[in-house]
Amino acid sequence: MYRSRSAGVMVLALGAFALFSSPALSETLRISHNLGLGGRESLDPVSPNRFLPAIAMIYDRLVNPGKNGLPEPSLALSWNSSADFTEWTLKLREGVRFHNGEPFSAEDAAFSLKRILNPKLASPVRSFLGIIDSVDAVDATTLRVQLKQAHADFLMLLTDYRVRMVSSKAAHGDLDAVLDSGIGTGPFKLSKLDARNTTVLAANPEHWEGKPGVEEVDIIAIADQDARNQALLAGQIDLASVAPNEVGLFKTNKQFVVQQVPAGKFNPIVMRTDVAPFNDIRVRKALKMLADRESLRKLVIGDANGSLACDEPVWPGDPYFNSSITCPTDVEGAKRLLSEAGYPNGLSLDLYTASVEPIMIPLAEAYQAQAAKAGVKVNVKVVPADGYWTNVWMKPNRPFVVGNWGQRAADQVLNEVFRAGAKWNETAWNRPDFEALLDQARSSASFEERKSIYGKAQAVLAEEGGQFIPFFRNETRVYSSSVDNVSHVPDNMLPWHKITKK
Amino acid sequence: MTMLHALFSRVLSLFLVLCVCFFALETLPGDACTAFLDQDARDPELLQICRANLGIDQPILVRFGEWAEALMRGDLGTSLTRDRPVSEVIAPELRNTFLLALVSAIASVPLSIILGIIAATRPGSRLDMTLSAVFLIAMTLPEFIIATCMIFLFAISLQWFPAVTIVPTGAPVLDMLPNIVLPVVTLSLVMVAHTMQVVRSRVIGILESDFIEACWLRGFSYWRILFGHALPSALPPALNVIALSLASLLGGVVVIERVFNYPGLGTLTLQAIHDRDMPLVQGVVVVFTLTYTGLSLLADTISTLLDPRAGANNHA
Repeated sequence: MYRSRSAGVMVLALGAFALFSSPALSETLRISHNLGLGGRESLDPVSPNRFLPAIAMIYDRLVNPGKNGLPEPSLALSWNSSADFTEWTLKLREGVRFHNGEPFSAEDAAFSLKRILNPKLASPVRSFLGIIDSVDAVDATTLRVQLKQAHADFLMLLTDYRVRMVSSKAAHGDLDAVLDSGIGTGPFKLSKLDARNTTVLAANPEHWEGKPGVEEVDIIAIADQDARNQALLAGQIDLASVAPNEVGLFKTNKQFVVQQVPAGKFNPIVMRTDVAPFNDIRVRKALKMLADRESLRKLVIGDANGSLACDEPVWPGDPYFNSSITCPTDVEGAKRLLSEAGYPNGLSLDLYTASVEPIMIPLAEAYQAQAAKAGVKVNVKVVPADGYWTNVWMKPNRPFVVGNWGQRAADQVLNEVFRAGAKWNETAWNRPDFEALLDQARSSASFEERKSIYGKAQAVLAEEGGQFIPFFRNETRVYSSSVDNVSHVPDNMLPWHKITKK
Repeated sequence: MTMLHALFSRVLSLFLVLCVCFFALETLPGDACTAFLDQDARDPELLQICRANLGIDQPILVRFGEWAEALMRGDLGTSLTRDRPVSEVIAPELRNTFLLALVSAIASVPLSIILGIIAATRPGSRLDMTLSAVFLIAMTLPEFIIATCMIFLFAISLQWFPAVTIVPTGAPVLDMLPNIVLPVVTLSLVMVAHTMQVVRSRVIGILESDFIEACWLRGFSYWRILFGHALPSALPPALNVIALSLASLLGGVVVIERVFNYPGLGTLTLQAIHDRDMPLVQGVVVVFTLTYTGLSLLADTISTLLDPRAGANNHA
């Protein structure tokens, strides 16, 4: 009645699946993305949930960031401005076509810029392109941009990775339309959008820069960093970004190439200059002086994974970087300054941080140990990463926090973060003389002159500002040795179409 | 009466679980918009536009009420940030997770019963000791460690199986098969370990009991005694363990799916929580809770039916 038969044979059937073999597609570049937006990734380049790196392959910019950070022609061939830098005229490339066959014209360029300015689309890019007053297509290949104020480096703003050219016809000229159909002029065309799993892009053989190096790009969603590394090790993907502390997995393996690309991401320890004790310049100076930046870099990210900084928010790869600023460690000097400021016995400070970026907690802890040597007791307060930007950062009752910034051009970072009225003025920096420097730079005719003015602005921040910036982080990229021609530049600047695969 | 009672208590627990989940998620810092905008949430204007668009500027009780009311009509609602009905988001992932759980169950349930019997018929033998040792280790090690070892050995060193799952959304079941081998083996190891121990000790206990003695005396063959009498008596309690480990399989699946990048309910749950996508989290919780309570109800029913003493005791 209760007779049962063995069903163990079924287990053996599992063995049959062992016939798996990975097809080595030489013409398909397989990369991964971290599914940071959980499958909501949009192909609209101005959307807050833009799908990187797909948009970088599907759409072209008017100008690309060149190796030295200066704009290089892309869809715009040449440009000039009025003497006062308020009106810019761009000559566009002829004969460029969108993936659907429609020609690219100044109409599309004007439309693409106008959408960025449309408040309804809530584009984060609007914060710095808000300087644009009007955009017009003069003729099919001429674009005219009128600015609200002078800006000698306006073209540099257009090198941002989100300022991409879309088709006005695809949107039927509707500025409110969300453009996620993936029609661009870029080196790759959309075959299939599946952000949750595998998104497939095919080479655009008619791209104006010539046929891309691979036939196809698969963008594979792998949320977990360890899983991503394992996929790389098992040969399931060809290229990925890795965290600095994971380089060891690949460094001694001949099948992989590790690329350390200098880049401009940074995590400042932020002091609000309008709140005590940080409103005293001596305290700010002391808190910066006491730090041993080299050992901070070594402890937090590893020597090879970043370049040292002296509290200037402009990264060394920027054409306007001021390389003459120095910042030696001086613990005794720091103690002296604190004593002059009324803290002869040191002081106790709460430093807020969160794991928004993995190094933000280690940085706070390493700094805590160094500060102790100068008699400063730093209490590291780790708070949840969720809601950090809205509940902790930039709140006057949290005057001492760890920040997180992506790479920005000099003009952009100085204006977005250090103007009194700027939304992201995290140090509550309020210095009309400093802002006058920024205005002066924007209307200076020569590059050398601008470099000298931006250099001065950086020196002021290094000396008196509220950001302590010990280092800039590199980007670390690992790729299979079958992949070639991966340019030594940050992801946002990477020419994907040049990459080849054996 | 007992069935009705069991059903009622399960509906009540589903309701309680949903309440706890909703309010627990609500107390976490941040919301769907701070998660969605990430660093862009530093812009208060963007944040405000987003909150208005998603309707999360409404008071919490209003939102819970609306959600619960829709649920009564069998509507799981619309995902906050994916802009699609929750049921539509869940469906392909549910299929994938069930595939994983089903294959694991098919592989591990018979295996654990067979191994349990083998160990029980030779208690103290070298085979018994080896089996016990292997599965004790499998039981003690966390699943993600076993998974990582599996990947290192079979995916990276030997390259027999893929390390992570790479398939398009809604891929046919056949395409999923090579990808699920390592997750299935990992999940099965843990399940077999638990169930085998129970089967083993039950069968040993029964083989030593009086009624088996009686069977021997009546001259029944060894196999008839083992499969005809000892096993049926040992199975009902084992079924309970099996049902519970099937249910806990669903919990294990969350970790396993993440490690193997498997596109299932587990990874979806983690993402939904990360995104503060309340309707989606609740939708997944409904599915998990229904499965869990369903399985335990099933286990109760089956063990009642299979229990030789059932007629005498359970309807009293």
